[in-house]
Amino acid sequence: MKQSHNNIKPLFVTLSVILILSLTGCWSSHEIEEQNLGIGVAFDKGKEPFIEKELNEQGEGYLKKDLFTSTYQIITPQVASSTTKQAGPQQKSYVNVSETGDSVLQMARELSLRRQPLTSHHMKVIVISEKLAKSYDLEQLFDQDLRDNDFRPSCLVLITKGRASNSLETKTAGEIPAFRLLGIAENTYRTTRILPPMPLIKLEAKLKSGSSFLLQNVVSVNGEVKFAGASVIKGKTHKMTGFLNEDELEGVTWITGKGKGGVLKSFDKETGQLILYEIESMKSRIKPRVKGNNISFDVTIESEGRLSETWVVPGDTFKNEFLKKAEKSSEKEVKRLVRNVLEKMQKEYQVDVAGFGNQLRIKNPKVWKKVKKNWDQTFSETPINYHVKLTINDYGTSGSSKK
Amino acid sequence: MKMKEWKSKISKKGKVTNNDKQEVDTSQDSTDQFTDNFILNLELVREEIGHNWDVHFREFNIGRTGIRSIVIFVDGLSDKDLIDKHIMPSLMVNFSAEYKHDLPYIKGSISTEFIKNEVLSISEVEKVGSIKELASKVLTGSTALLIDGSLDALILGTTKLKTRTIEEPVSEALVRGPRVGFTESLSDNTSFLRGSGENENLSLVKFQVGKHSKKDLVVAYIKDIVDPELVQEVENRIKKIDIDNVPESGYVEQLIEDNYLSPFPQVQNTERPDRVIAALMEGRVAILLDGTPFALIVPVTLSMMLQSPEDYYERWIPGTFIRLLRYLAAVLALFTPSLYIAFISFHSGLIPTKLAISIIGNRSGVPFPALIEALFMEISIEILREAGLRLPKPIGPAMGIVGGLIIGEAAVQAGIVSPVLVIVVALTAISSFAIPQYSTGFTLRILRYPAMFCAATFGLYGVIVFFLFMTSHLVKLKSFGVPYLSPVVPYRLSEWKDLMVRMPLMMMKRRPKMMHTKNPIRKG
Amino acid sequence: MILSPKDQITTPQAAVIVINFILGSGLLTLPRSATEKVHTPDVWISVILGGILTMIAGVIMVKLSQKFPQKTFYQYCNEIIGKWVGGLLSLFIICYFLLTSGFQLRSMAEVISYLLLEGTPTWAITMIFMWVGLYLIIGGINPIARLFEIILPLTVIFFLVVVFMSIKIFEIDNLRPVLGEGVIPVLKGVKTTALAFTGPEIMLLLIPFMNHPQKAVKALLVGVSIPLIFYVITVVMVIGALSVEGVVTRTWPTLDLIRSFEVSGLIFERFESLLLVVWIMQIFSSFTISYYAAALGLAQLSKKSIHPFMFGLLPILYIIAMIPKNINDQFKIGDFIGNVALWLFGLLPLLLLIISRIKGGKYETIT
Repeated sequence: MKQSHNNIKPLFVTLSVILILSLTGCWSSHEIEEQNLGIGVAFDKGKEPFIEKELNEQGEGYLKKDLFTSTYQIITPQVASSTTKQAGPQQKSYVNVSETGDSVLQMARELSLRRQPLTSHHMKVIVISEKLAKSYDLEQLFDQDLRDNDFRPSCLVLITKGRASNSLETKTAGEIPAFRLLGIAENTYRTTRILPPMPLIKLEAKLKSGSSFLLQNVVSVNGEVKFAGASVIKGKTHKMTGFLNEDELEGVTWITGKGKGGVLKSFDKETGQLILYEIESMKSRIKPRVKGNNISFDVTIESEGRLSETWVVPGDTFKNEFLKKAEKSSEKEVKRLVRNVLEKMQKEYQVDVAGFGNQLRIKNPKVWKKVKKNWDQTFSETPINYHVKLTINDYGTSGSSKK
Repeated sequence: MKMKEWKSKISKKGKVTNNDKQEVDTSQDSTDQFTDNFILNLELVREEIGHNWDVHFREFNIGRTGIRSIVIFVDGLSDKDLIDKHIMPSLMVNFSAEYKHDLPYIKGSISTEFIKNEVLSISEVEKVGSIKELASKVLTGSTALLIDGSLDALILGTTKLKTRTIEEPVSEALVRGPRVGFTESLSDNTSFLRGSGENENLSLVKFQVGKHSKKDLVVAYIKDIVDPELVQEVENRIKKIDIDNVPESGYVEQLIEDNYLSPFPQVQNTERPDRVIAALMEGRVAILLDGTPFALIVPVTLSMMLQSPEDYYERWIPGTFIRLLRYLAAVLALFTPSLYIAFISFHSGLIPTKLAISIIGNRSGVPFPALIEALFMEISIEILREAGLRLPKPIGPAMGIVGGLIIGEAAVQAGIVSPVLVIVVALTAISSFAIPQYSTGFTLRILRYPAMFCAATFGLYGVIVFFLFMTSHLVKLKSFGVPYLSPVVPYRLSEWKDLMVRMPLMMMKRRPKMMHTKNPIRKG
Repeated sequence: MILSPKDQITTPQAAVIVINFILGSGLLTLPRSATEKVHTPDVWISVILGGILTMIAGVIMVKLSQKFPQKTFYQYCNEIIGKWVGGLLSLFIICYFLLTSGFQLRSMAEVISYLLLEGTPTWAITMIFMWVGLYLIIGGINPIARLFEIILPLTVIFFLVVVFMSIKIFEIDNLRPVLGEGVIPVLKGVKTTALAFTGPEIMLLLIPFMNHPQKAVKALLVGVSIPLIFYVITVVMVIGALSVEGVVTRTWPTLDLIRSFEVSGLIFERFESLLLVVWIMQIFSSFTISYYAAALGLAQLSKKSIHPFMFGLLPILYIIAMIPKNINDQFKIGDFIGNVALWLFGLLPLLLLIISRIKGGKYETIT
């Protein structure tokens, strides 16, 4: 049976109408090479960069308060073509542009007055300077980024001690700072001294939940960066209230049990020499204990690993006693780290950034409801007991040392 | 009836008008019939067809009897071997040898009956009564034999068209499979089908198409497998063909298909007998036309267009792999340029960052937007391809390489297109050639352009809308009552064994349900 | 009857139509709308309960329709409650389908113009969508069913691929404790989740088209269970990755789930394009089937051919789609439609079933 063609005519008429109208333009079409790809942004306290001052002197400025400076790291078409066409290793692979003002989005749009428009689809990192984090509520700072449909929720958030824009600089040719930061953030499997990466989406969740949390800190000197320590953000105020150094951060990782790899250095009691324990896996269980109105926590930390480096002479790794000694020594070290950081958390900063509250919420939701409001305060007074158990599985390919 | 038509046609041509009196009619009547007079008969025949340069008249005497006769044939259409070695000798030399003793008694005439029954030892002999019939038979390759004294003539079947040797079809070469292709001779082609081993149930029904120059057309099907309604439908549609000349099966295809507005072919064509036979075994119907090696198969579904007999000759693992590859190629051929345009012009956020950076690097300096670039390259490739077909053999392949490499290179160097696009276009072109059915490959190539326009106007959304539109069209399309997208939809799990994968032969037990065959189980 | 005998659909096709109708804009907004009411991570339990409720309502509708084989709801409701009331009821249902269609259209336009095509005017986006929908339904129920059968596997594959990739940022802790605050919050959410399952009412129209109407119950159960599984997976993954607090602040949480991870190395680092493809196809299917349902209703009410109604409804749908002024209005209309569905298809079929049982044995039932 041939198909009926009675309906074809009206269909074609409507189709031609639509087609002709569509010819009026491809409205959203923006060629990729006409855009600047924003791949990283840094927020600093407002200080107008030199260029801007000059521009403002020559032309008309606009109504704004110099609250903060955004530095955008972009890949321009020129930069991209030089990287791909290998025009010469001396060329920089990125461009940093700064704007000062009081509205995040407006500053970004200001850029379109100076260059090609900026797209934020490929933003990889947001770096905030400590000064800003101390003075402004993070929720306000990040509002635009969270609201914008262009910013991907997978963007990482970092904090720096100095000027954030410095972390977006590098002296190595061919290297792009934003990518470098991204790369370092993925190294959790090598060290326990950094936090698992915090994408924008999790930041929002934490901010909205009112609990305190940690943000990875970046230090930059002379074009080099290092992930060192973390800043403490208080849940109530959303502002930075403290800082944990690398050791303390390591302690937090042990408490939360989220480490994937890394090393633990300890010193042998008798000889005072170094023993290095390499972590293969770690696990921790935080158990809240509620007796009436008293809350306490039991933390059990377990880990398996290998003995990677020992300076103890004599030390025969082929013998179990030596391994036991190494284990004990490492366990002591873990306990020390944990104790240190707990003190800092409870006494000095009065925040719970290791997820104790979360465990309480899961195990005793009714109790959690009651103490939720002032948890940071309550937490600073809860006793915490901890037990550490390490197991050394192997010790590599070299064994005894002669006595 | 026929004679009257001819008469009126001749009268219209102005030779003799109808108004002329009956004597003219009768004389026409009489001229159409053979007369007693041999010479007169000869004159009439010469009048009819003697002006053609390839019609030969060979006069001779039968045996030693002195009875005159003449053999009329067309050089090139008739099998001269047969004439020279069998007809003439049996009428001349052997005749006199055979009937030596009766020779004195044969005077006057010999009846054609006698010649037919006793003398001529060839397979096809029939009588004709009119000059017109004789003329048309001679002009199709038979030989006419006129004998002095008899009222009718004999037609001897000596048709032998010059056909080419059987060779592998150029358009459908396989790595593994019979290297046999149809030829232009209908009888050769039907003999292939008979030779496949399916004998009693294979029906070959003849039709004639073309009002002016009639061509023979054969509809083939296997009686106890096929759905009789399907055969009826095919025959009805063929009978409805109303055109003066049918030079190639393509004409038949276009005149019987369901939806001439659709870009998708609803009739499959092939040069390979093995494909036809496989189709017949599934309950389909084949149409063969005299004069072309391309046979038609109906009904057809989209999945058939993406299959090749080779899938079955190899084992199931390579068969499945190749088939999946082909499906991937089809998708690539259709959507790659439009996806390229969509991502480059609209959604730079959806591609990986490193890729985005390198694309920006490559494209900076290119003056045209992605659509123009893509159109430019695509159209150039199409023109190249078309040109490559027409060039003589030694230049053809070289032209392809020249065109592809050098023009692509040069265009990139000149900064007109970006290298990424050259890759995209090359990938697309190659993918479309991986489709075994040439007409489907063509369809995909054509559909690429609307997809590109949709992508250029609406980005990824446009591509999706285009996909929905195309699928809606496919879903409504039917080929001779079978939905074009069977067996994907409606869901019939048992038929998916042969769709994107090729399950081991052990597991393919049934004929496709969509054919409504009478004999659903393949295996015993 | 206007139904041509060749326009038959198989049982799997009926199930597929129900599945595609249910899965629609709910995929993107369900996590948030449900979590807003429940506030605990137990939303998935609400989803399951909502699904079961819908199945019950659906079975009632099927049983009702099975009493009148060969007739769609528009045709047989006259026989139960009289010509005028029945006509009015049919008109209500037609309006419901129209509203749903327009709502789907608008949702699609909103999301597309927000995420994919920022500069493109809404009318352009909407019109080509409508045109393709019109092209499809002109062919009748059969092409619709077949297209849905193609869309469904694509949806399933892409969706599952994308959602399971998000295991990277999934934290099981976000889903605990289970039933920490008791069952009451869960129950509060059931109303919202049940509304996400609107769709089985299409069975009221499909039964006469089926070639095995006795299998309709099976089709319905399958048709609701598969979206149920989808929704549960969605909710679990979204809350697992974003946590309860995170979910309630995002407008389109499912989308954000997909955008929050990148799997470097694979072809698309970003998988939201896949999700959007799936989602557009689902919206298209919901749009076309309700469009068809409305046109069919009008045609059967006025006993005329369906084609002029298909063309005529086109501008009406466009107007309906343009009614909400901003996105909050849009969500409100969504809720309104949901509530209407609750009355029309939750309670009414039960009433009608009872009435028809009372009216008694004139009609043969198919079992």
